[in-house]
Amino acid sequence: MEIGALFQTAIVIGFASAFIAFLGFVLERDDVHKLVLTDLIEVLTLMIVACVGTDLAECLILPALVVGVAEVLAFSELAVAKEKTRLGFEEKTQQSPLNIEVLRTSPNLIAIILILYGAVLTGFTGGAVAGLGMLYYLVCRWEGDITKSFWEGVGAVSGVAWCLWILGFLLFFIVPDLWLLALFLAGGGILVKVTSKMGLIGIEGKRSFRSPGGKT
Amino acid sequence: MIGLGESLIGLIRLGDIVLYLTPTTLTLFLTAVGFTVVMALSRPETQVELVFGMDGYKKSEMPMGEIKFRRYMAIVCGVATAGAMITGDIFDFALFVTLAGIADVGIVAASKKPQVLDAAYQYGMTLMIAGLPLFGAAALVLGTAGTLSLHELDTIRVSGVVAVLFILGVLGEIGVAPFYAAKARLFRALGAPYIIMIHVSTLLIIVRTVEIIVTLL
Repeated sequence: MEIGALFQTAIVIGFASAFIAFLGFVLERDDVHKLVLTDLIEVLTLMIVACVGTDLAECLILPALVVGVAEVLAFSELAVAKEKTRLGFEEKTQQSPLNIEVLRTSPNLIAIILILYGAVLTGFTGGAVAGLGMLYYLVCRWEGDITKSFWEGVGAVSGVAWCLWILGFLLFFIVPDLWLLALFLAGGGILVKVTSKMGLIGIEGKRSFRSPGGKT
Repeated sequence: MIGLGESLIGLIRLGDIVLYLTPTTLTLFLTAVGFTVVMALSRPETQVELVFGMDGYKKSEMPMGEIKFRRYMAIVCGVATAGAMITGDIFDFALFVTLAGIADVGIVAASKKPQVLDAAYQYGMTLMIAGLPLFGAAALVLGTAGTLSLHELDTIRVSGVVAVLFILGVLGEIGVAPFYAAKARLFRALGAPYIIMIHVSTLLIIVRTVEIIVTLL
């Protein structure tokens, strides 16, 4: 198909899906379900922006995504505040935000999938993905204690990985023939470094999230 | 000639992004900045109501946390509005309008009354779904004209459908305005003067939108 016709088809499909999403939004009465549907509409917005398919469109997706996420965060906070005032909920009530069933049952599978996918991606993106899996598991499931040696061990692994990354970059400039080795050193190094750093955040977050009342 | 502002004062070229200054945009920008400064420095009024049938009155005051939140949101809204006035890029305009919309809802949502929070939530839903026509129009402008710069778009005609989508998007983002613009107690109500920011920002955005539509067509 010609590129112009392709663009037109994609735009038409995008707006048709948007129309269906709007219909669902009109028919929905429950406030929380409406919030979920607006998130769907945000995704369709990103899709329409992505249809343009140039380098510039790629730069436009990120701000649009950030705006969408900011809106969802702001209005879900607003929904929580609204329900709290409606039910006469006391601010002081003790509650643990992570006391939901899905957070006890899902971490094993999701963490494995994210870590495997992150290892395949390598580089900074892979590190972020794998680290997210680790963070999710540690916050939700991990029961162990943090000893000084454990903390320092993770820090040391992170430091060595950082050195590998720098070594990879140096090899690029000193011995360009070894570019494949340099690439893997840099990619693997940054993967391990970002993953371990995010794991440490997860260990730290576990304490403040899981204790009743939010903070210790 | 560009849009409403008859003469071009100057162009600021920052690579792909070309800011252009006309008397209209410059005036709107200075208005937004000036009003933001006034908002940041002003103090909220205490509303006094007489009690019927006896010699007495009651004061309704906002708690300090609410005042601070409203003032912060008003400043954010003013900065976003000022950005939307001066920008020369249709996508940046869409982003600034969205930010101003979120801040508008934030000013309303500082209240602790259930019915006000409920109304703010419904405004928020409108604001979120209006993002689709707004960003969709910006993407269509990029897809059909090949540029986002308003300065270049002045010489390129874009289809009317895009303009309609753009207007729909902006109307949704500033949809909170009419409910506050029509309020007789705007200047004396609880939450004044910060809720005037909703009024000012939406009016300025409407004027700039008209200019952009003239540029597009």
